[in-house]
Amino acid sequence: MVDLSQYLPILIFLVIAVGLSAAFVFLPMGVARLTGAHKPNAEKLSEYECGFPAFEDPRSQFDVRFYLIAILFIVFDLEAAFLFPWAVSLDLTGWPGWITMMVFLFELAIGLAYAWKKGALEWD
Amino acid sequence: MDFSTSLALIAPELVLSLSGLVLLLVAAWAGDRSARVVSVLACVALGAAFALCIPVVSGGLAGPDRIAFDGQFRADAFASLAKLMIYAASLAALILAPAFLERIRSMRAEYPVLVLFSAVGMSIMVSATDLLTLYIGLEMQSLAAYVLASFVRDNTRSAEAGLKYFVLGSLASGILLFGMSLTYGFTGSTAFDAIGVAVSGELNTGALFGLVFVLAGLAFKISAVPFHMWTPDVYEGAPTPVTAFFASAPKVAAIALLTRVLMEAFGGQVEAWRQIVVFLALASIVVGALGAIGQDNVKRLLAYSSINNVGFILIGVAVASTQGVSAMLVYLAIYVPMTIAGFVAVLMLRDGAGDPVERIADLSGLSRVRPAVAWCLMIVMFSLAGIPPMFGFWGKFVVFQAAVQADMVVLAAIGIAASVIGAFYYLKIVKVMFMDEPAGVIEPAGGQPGNASLGALLAICTLMISPFGFLATGWLGALADRAAASLLLLA
Repeated sequence: MVDLSQYLPILIFLVIAVGLSAAFVFLPMGVARLTGAHKPNAEKLSEYECGFPAFEDPRSQFDVRFYLIAILFIVFDLEAAFLFPWAVSLDLTGWPGWITMMVFLFELAIGLAYAWKKGALEWD
Repeated sequence: MDFSTSLALIAPELVLSLSGLVLLLVAAWAGDRSARVVSVLACVALGAAFALCIPVVSGGLAGPDRIAFDGQFRADAFASLAKLMIYAASLAALILAPAFLERIRSMRAEYPVLVLFSAVGMSIMVSATDLLTLYIGLEMQSLAAYVLASFVRDNTRSAEAGLKYFVLGSLASGILLFGMSLTYGFTGSTAFDAIGVAVSGELNTGALFGLVFVLAGLAFKISAVPFHMWTPDVYEGAPTPVTAFFASAPKVAAIALLTRVLMEAFGGQVEAWRQIVVFLALASIVVGALGAIGQDNVKRLLAYSSINNVGFILIGVAVASTQGVSAMLVYLAIYVPMTIAGFVAVLMLRDGAGDPVERIADLSGLSRVRPAVAWCLMIVMFSLAGIPPMFGFWGKFVVFQAAVQADMVVLAAIGIAASVIGAFYYLKIVKVMFMDEPAGVIEPAGGQPGNASLGALLAICTLMISPFGFLATGWLGALADRAAASLLLLA
């Protein structure tokens, strides 16, 4: 009798591989099917915003520059998230910790200088 | 471990990241006019990093004094040999780019900077001995690669390639992180050696799931079947110099990383991961070979060819011995110039309007229109097919030899049989180039700008994979053996 339990890793791997691939194909189809019958009418298709008819087309394009601001925000937000634990543990990490954080801030400053020079901070 | 000693060990990465930062500022202030100068300076930086790695490889350095930052990073001969290949491939990507990008006015000064940052990320990947270092290196390489894929941003194909690569790459990173968190949760450490100790006895189910998810995430990065579906689309859409880069350097980095994770962190559980790696290897070989048959685009064909080659490389990993790792390194060292030569040859072909030619049907009669390129492409195709006396044969030979000596005869036999399928489409291209009538699409050799550097690169790469490459087998084998020994020293 062959001991099948030794093949557990490959079984798990195949389940994950097939499962992930199948999820990508069938999940959107299933969700579309399950989220209601496809019976559009004028009332259903009209847009609706906080109890009022929409003032403008909700699918309007908005400026790509918002993305840039969002990305820059994330960069400096993360910096702040790193700075708090660094500050309270500085007595443990000592000079190497201080130097490492200064290197990190210096690199961020270079990134900021690049973004500034490229005009990412100007709206017009 | 002294801080300055650690810094001395990461000298190649320091050189690359500092020059990357300086060149980023140069690119911002001097604008796109400086693209050529920035490229040349980036080449110099890569050359310096390359030179810094040579003594580590030739000395076969390994052991505790090559460990930096308390076990986060290891600059041993294995990592340094992979770094040599990565830096050489990055250098080729820099040399290729101007000829292609300047014609469509997309050569920006940021291109060499992105290649440098990607090279830093790959350096960190191959030296990582901790799951977190691994992830930082992988993300640094990937983020630069996503931007590179969509570098020709007004071309919809290139933008699509970048977006697809980004979405699927982030998914792979998510899978990898999930596996890493499971591994950490069930072994209590993120350091490879500590994980190795924790799993040396019994592998519990949680750690097994961690291993499987880590493997799935890394299989995505090396585009092994069944996680390969992004490869043909991304390779086709990305600008050709970037595709040449994707097919060479990140593959080396991800495979070296995979090997280190498996041999060091899970070295005590070879039986658990060997079956998965064997499956990945055989599936990649077969799907890569069969998928390539129906392709009519050269870049898609080379994408499937790279999937196929990853399968052969993974056979070396599956053997899980010094000899297997050494065979894998030899295969990689042959694979890199082989792939780059293929893409350079494709880059050199232009139609009457100067646009790049990518359809296989347009290659017909190439031997009469551009004989030199056709002969080089023929050597590349024979080498990819593993037909002696081309050097590609040697890579396959050492891999199969390692498999046979480890009593994995069935694996080797299936691999050899499947490589015959692969030979079909490689030979088909040779037939189209040499036996069909010229299609009249490709322009005869003219004075296109930048063709001198492309020609030189093609000549060098073709020389490496031609029968002359066999002169280097002893030397290459010795280097790979020492590098493999350095990897397994602590495992």
